Amino acid sequence: MPTKFREGANPMNIKWSRWKTILTCAFLVLAIVLCDARAASALPAGKVIALPMFARKYGLPCSACHTAWPELNNFGQVFRDNGYQLMNDRDSPIWQNPSYFPISFRITPSWHRETTTNQQVDSVPGNGLGDGIGTLTQAGFDLSGMDLWSGGTLYKNISFILLPSSDPTAVWHFESAFIRFDNLWHSPWLNVKFGRFELDNLISEKRFLFLSANGGLYQIYHFDNPGSSNNFGYGDNQIGVELAGHSANSYTRYSVSVLSSNEGGVNFTTDVVPGGTPSNRSYDVNLAFSQAFNAPGTPGESGFGLERVGAFAYIGQRPTNYETELGTQLVGINNKPFFRIGFAGDLSYKNLELMPLFIYGHDNPYLGAGVPSTAPLPPGAQAPTFYGGFLEAHYYFNPQNVALARFEQINVGQQAFTNTSFGGSNGNITAVSFGYRWYPIMFSRAGVALDGEFSRVRTIGQEPESGNGTGVVGNPTGAVWSNSIYFGIDFDF
Amino acid sequence: MTLKKFAVTFALGSMALLTAGATVSTAQSHVNSPDPLLGTPSVATETSNIDGITGHAESGKHLYRRFCIGCHGPDGNGQGMNAQWIDPKPRDFTEATFKCRSTPTGTLPTDEDLYNAITRGFVTTNMPSWRPLNPQQRADLVAFIKTWSPRWAKEKPGASLNIPPETAITIESILHGRELFQKLECWKCHGPEGHADGPSASTLTDSKGNPILPFNFSTGERFMCGDSNRDLYRIFMTGLDGSPMPSFADVIQPNDAWDLVHFLRTLQVALPNQELTLWQTYKAAHGKDLKPIGPDSAGGAQ
Amino acid sequence: MRMKFFAALALTVAMGSALMVFATPPPAGSGSITGKVTYTGTPMKMKPIDMSKEPSCAKQHATPITTENVATGPGNTLQWVVVYISAGDEGTTTASQGVRYDQKGCQYLPHVLTMLAGQQLQIYNDDQTSHNIHPLAKVNQEWNKSQPPGSPPIDTKWDKPEFIAVKCNIHPWMHGYFAVLKTSHVSITGEDGTFDIKGLSPGKYTVTAWQEQYGTKTQDVTVGAGAATANFVFTATPY
Repeated sequence: MPTKFREGANPMNIKWSRWKTILTCAFLVLAIVLCDARAASALPAGKVIALPMFARKYGLPCSACHTAWPELNNFGQVFRDNGYQLMNDRDSPIWQNPSYFPISFRITPSWHRETTTNQQVDSVPGNGLGDGIGTLTQAGFDLSGMDLWSGGTLYKNISFILLPSSDPTAVWHFESAFIRFDNLWHSPWLNVKFGRFELDNLISEKRFLFLSANGGLYQIYHFDNPGSSNNFGYGDNQIGVELAGHSANSYTRYSVSVLSSNEGGVNFTTDVVPGGTPSNRSYDVNLAFSQAFNAPGTPGESGFGLERVGAFAYIGQRPTNYETELGTQLVGINNKPFFRIGFAGDLSYKNLELMPLFIYGHDNPYLGAGVPSTAPLPPGAQAPTFYGGFLEAHYYFNPQNVALARFEQINVGQQAFTNTSFGGSNGNITAVSFGYRWYPIMFSRAGVALDGEFSRVRTIGQEPESGNGTGVVGNPTGAVWSNSIYFGIDFDF
Repeated sequence: MTLKKFAVTFALGSMALLTAGATVSTAQSHVNSPDPLLGTPSVATETSNIDGITGHAESGKHLYRRFCIGCHGPDGNGQGMNAQWIDPKPRDFTEATFKCRSTPTGTLPTDEDLYNAITRGFVTTNMPSWRPLNPQQRADLVAFIKTWSPRWAKEKPGASLNIPPETAITIESILHGRELFQKLECWKCHGPEGHADGPSASTLTDSKGNPILPFNFSTGERFMCGDSNRDLYRIFMTGLDGSPMPSFADVIQPNDAWDLVHFLRTLQVALPNQELTLWQTYKAAHGKDLKPIGPDSAGGAQ
Repeated sequence: MRMKFFAALALTVAMGSALMVFATPPPAGSGSITGKVTYTGTPMKMKPIDMSKEPSCAKQHATPITTENVATGPGNTLQWVVVYISAGDEGTTTASQGVRYDQKGCQYLPHVLTMLAGQQLQIYNDDQTSHNIHPLAKVNQEWNKSQPPGSPPIDTKWDKPEFIAVKCNIHPWMHGYFAVLKTSHVSITGEDGTFDIKGLSPGKYTVTAWQEQYGTKTQDVTVGAGAATANFVFTATPY
């Protein structure tokens, strides 16, 4: 591991000055003194729990459906697979008091600090030349975006989600909006979802526990080879129709989705806010399957837990050209395919949860070449490929305390061009994150989590996926290091 | 020190603070500060046994805190924070009185009865089906639930009801069941057509004094204690302890009980079933010969 | 000399016998505690019971019976108060015979039935209608059985002392009590409010009076060879 990584934020570093060590230790002592368990227990402990609108409807604690919200446990997975129904003949909204309204919101004010090295800057501030290379550091208090959830049942076996979501500047879009016909022909194996929705990912980026700029995304879910015009993100919500099914306890799950090839965009564009490029007329397919089983554990003891493994494949197309009018792009044409395949797991050993994932991605050479598919391929153009994955670990001290860690590595297999001047590892990503979430309250009405994270990402010759930095790499043959230090208070109602 | 170094240390320290604080609080909570969920001393030793799986109350305690505490409460008495908004109320485990059993009225249920109740849930109530929990987890919860009442240490569960093989579904069986429904005065609570509108229906209270309605057969809802004919047989033979529904084990013979089961199915007009189909054909031909169910002209039960 | 010896011997024997007579406790059963249970204040009004939903019972009562949770008598007396020894010699704690509880005219007879823990209890249905017996026990185990007319009596017993409310779900006006005690020294007041606990050996006792609506009152009583008196006064409230 590079020395830079070791030095950066490592209390064990012998190069730390004494004052730094003392101050850090002082904080720890202060922590022990302040976070007295008596104070913690004076709060209504043990009453903890994620979509509070569901907790309100059914009177269950948040921890019933979530390992630690927003991540689902198997009971919550079954609830979701059933179309947000407990199947207790009381799911339909007619059984609710008319004053119950299925709305929840979530937002996270925070303090965070981002540093990104190897960025192109003006060597003299204001000279406008972009002639220098430097490190960009930004820090301060901040807000996250806001989710304004509505979801549940319209009728027995007809469910929905409507999720307008905003960025921190209150620019709104529809993150999710779908209707789902559940348990067709009384079978849990047939459910049809229609609208804009998250793909049926075994490891969901929408329900994970990280919030920082560099840690708050799965790098590989958004990776596209450098130079590729492909904009696909496996963690992005898409728009289309999904047929999904599950066994009664959701140990077996499958889904097949047919989606527009426009990255979930609306108005026939590739984005959910104005200004996106036009979409094409083709369709993508996503396939996912997973199987869970109980690990029995040692005889006489309670079992290890539920183990789930799955495989997935996404086959799609993206345009290499556009119909135009006076140069204005109208509709994408000359589509070329790409695919992503992989497998993932959600493994438990008592209080420890491990989530491994591996993906292999392959784009058509035209998607990396930047020419319409009607033209010949430029010399050196080849199919951009990549492979990689991550291993994420959670340790649940109890339903209100969880420690997090993740290591991620993505390697470019083939660059878009063989004769690239930037080397075969251009675009490679190494990322590590650590975090902790503490839920001091967990009512069936609202929730609060204190979230602390540290993330460090190294990207070779490319800007970090978090969007940190100036937007232009200083030295394209070198590494860009981007750090996030994050402390947020995540609350929902 | 530079501002940058300070900021880094501050942030690191905050994280350390979070980590240490929460770790310490949880560690301490295991030692001497009030656990939100203490349980009783027998948590360390109580076990359950279902189909060869041994459940342990100590593991069940952690599961109870995650899944059950919101309704059943930190003291296991059904006074969880959500209980005030729920009807029917969550079960009070400290009384060891349970509705859905295979054992005679007044006796403790078997471990399997409790396991089945957790697995099946109670339809039309806020008690979900906990089938998504694996069998070991459910067995652990059964063991933990038993620690809430001292009865489990002193009494053994009752003997499970022996259910004979079901008799044939015939119109004679249904007609005999109908006679029993009249004679045993089920209609006084459940109503002549099972609409929960019998003369006593509006006055019923459960054993804690909360108003409660008898089962309404006509809505097509499933029974809380299971939806097969065997489950229905068990319901009226063992009675639903804690509710007004008594046990008829001393007054009905096993074969007669199957006749009653077949008749009760014909009351479930919204839930297609074999007995209903038979009955509707019979009624179309002989409906006017049937004596209506209810008080007879002598002013009392037959 | 011999005479003196025998006289002394006789005297000693006589004195010894006399001493023995006085030293031995008097035969058990000679002492008793009697008294009266009354109330001050205004008690709840007892209301007539409407049995029109059960015609077979309604016609057994020429005038409707009233509720019985605060049954009073002339002179501000309280009926159906269970007075028993709660500390001191408990008397026999096992019973050779059983006790009987009847459902007649959709009423529990007697309204309060005392019995020993472990004593055989037989419950009869003397009516033309079904009843369900639902003792709402909390210390003992609650149960609920249907008893159609003409069925045999229900045979049961209670293991632990407890005042158990009994109800019939079909006929909601029916209320009664099983007073399960660990002592046989018990007496229930009648309309005149008097009780008489007989067969007590001299000694110190704690006596408790229980009324279903107003709770319990306790007194310490010392019993000699004859009758000791203890009166109880409950504070009655209209609701």
